[in-house]
Amino acid sequence: MDLTKKLIFICGKGGVGKTSVSKALALTLSKKGLKTLWVAFEDPLKPPGELLEISPTLWHLNCESITAFEEYVGLKIGVPSLTKIFLQNKLMRYMAKAAPGIHDLVLLGKIWFERKNYDHIVLDMPSTGYGLAMFQGTENFSKLFQGGPTHRDALSMLETFGDPSETHFLIVTLPEEMPIRESLELNGYLQKMFPKNPASFLVNRSFPKPVTAPAASQSPESWIGASPIPQSALDYVEKRSINEAYNLRLLEQEKIEFTELGFLLPTEDKDLIHTLSEEIENHVILH
Amino acid sequence: MSYSIDSILDQRRILITCGTGGVGKTTLSAALALRATLLGKKTVVVTIDPAKRLANSLGLKTLSDEPTDLTQELKKAYDKLNPSFPRSEKGSLSAIMPDTRHTFESFFSGLSSSKTHAEKLMKNPIFQIFAKEFSGTNEYMALEKLYSIDSLGKYDCIILDTPPSRNTLAFLNAPLLLAQFFDERIIRWLVLPTNKIVSVGMKKALGILEKLTGSGFMGHLFDFASSLFEVRMAFQANLRKITELLTSKDVGFLLVTTPNPETLPELLHFMDAIKEHQMHFDGIALNRTLSYLKTTSTENFSPDTSHALKIVSALQERESITVKKLNEKGFPFTLLPELARDIHSVEDLLNVALAFN
Repeated sequence: MDLTKKLIFICGKGGVGKTSVSKALALTLSKKGLKTLWVAFEDPLKPPGELLEISPTLWHLNCESITAFEEYVGLKIGVPSLTKIFLQNKLMRYMAKAAPGIHDLVLLGKIWFERKNYDHIVLDMPSTGYGLAMFQGTENFSKLFQGGPTHRDALSMLETFGDPSETHFLIVTLPEEMPIRESLELNGYLQKMFPKNPASFLVNRSFPKPVTAPAASQSPESWIGASPIPQSALDYVEKRSINEAYNLRLLEQEKIEFTELGFLLPTEDKDLIHTLSEEIENHVILH
Repeated sequence: MSYSIDSILDQRRILITCGTGGVGKTTLSAALALRATLLGKKTVVVTIDPAKRLANSLGLKTLSDEPTDLTQELKKAYDKLNPSFPRSEKGSLSAIMPDTRHTFESFFSGLSSSKTHAEKLMKNPIFQIFAKEFSGTNEYMALEKLYSIDSLGKYDCIILDTPPSRNTLAFLNAPLLLAQFFDERIIRWLVLPTNKIVSVGMKKALGILEKLTGSGFMGHLFDFASSLFEVRMAFQANLRKITELLTSKDVGFLLVTTPNPETLPELLHFMDAIKEHQMHFDGIALNRTLSYLKTTSTENFSPDTSHALKIVSALQERESITVKKLNEKGFPFTLLPELARDIHSVEDLLNVALAFN
């Protein structure tokens, strides 16, 4: 797992911990003195387009399509007066905001331009389908924009994303059935789009595996008949660990290597991100 | 402030469950439908993206607009479990898993005045991207489906499990986002680019756009806009009836979330948005809770087991902080237990349905 590339896309199903993992990884890299940008896409709880200095080496961007569109257009047109006419136009504003494809193109385009200003950019991608649509939208529009400068930019962007020396895709999942199935599906799509740049897998929030549970011999199927609601905390932790081991077989069957992160919680003196950052530093191989 | 899920089911004809991925929204929606059936409602659950086993246990093997009747299965499971919760004979239960991804094109065909117009629209490359990538498509189609099921008049309880979204608010915003495309003032400019009423500014802006994107794109864009222009009235009428339904007193929203104190800002944001849209917020369902589990002392176990038990206690602690904060703010909420395994059958779902408190 090489998490030292310039661009690191953190992908996966909703609820698997992409935000925490991406933030913690950005923190880990920034602590090494590397200037790192942690990116969220259109977080409705933060001001659109806001760039925030967390520490001198760690920055956060809430990448948003209207602000990204304005910057991109300004860069391409070059003449401020023309840029202004263009951007104040209602039709153009509408296209920046709502048009699928254009929307994705400017969001990824913004990141692509920013890569010159940082050692690392860690991206907290929208969940599976929406994250994937950002790449597909960019690809589709690059085809539609035959001839124009936007077409060339889109092609260069996709080339950068497909280049394993510049970009890495990290698929985060949980040891639960749905997230694992979805991560395998996502992996298939990414492979098709970027065949030379295979993704790596991170299993987040892996529960401790109690040795008392005869995990090898028991299958969750054997519990059918009893209520799915656990009887006690002990019953729960034993069943959970058996379930998780069972679910991880889905990855093993596909011969997919993965790294596991333990089930972490904030402690009194450390929040979750710092705990997670330490765990990444200690357990995830950063080449 | 806790609330009774049964009184909500009594009050609303339609309940829409919202929430981000991984919170167990689909299982909860199905369990809610079972509960409504026990209460004597003619119930249908509309589910968009269930796990394979859950879909199987609801008898949903393929995407289809035909409901699967589960009334007898529920009766059998009920007789087997023989719970103290009463079951009304009047209730019925069905489930539907509609194909929202592929109904988008037929939706536009329906709006079009003629077959040729519909075909022209489908062939437009911008429309094709739009149909595939537009992030409001699934959401809007789910609402469209909801409307048509409700119009049948066959059900007095419809549970809509919303599709996975970018964020909790995306579902509420989808109709407006799609409506932006049909903004008459804007598409009129594209439809009549050479018309004299088009301002100098617009001409300049279009000129710049052409330089950036190439002339092929502009041609497609004008075609796309004229197609939208033709169906705009039909679409707006459709949007109005959907909005009317969503803002009516028959429809309530439930927010499904997990018991983490960190999710509170999102909850607040969601509730504000519901109010802003003049819809009705009915409460929070805290799913996957652990507080009901008796904690065993962590001694006398292997290190891994006691570590696991410590995590459970820590999670219970976080849950009680969440509950306390919800109480302080006076938000209505209910708790549902975390399960030890996946749902395999209607009987499993009945166990969950009985656990609503």
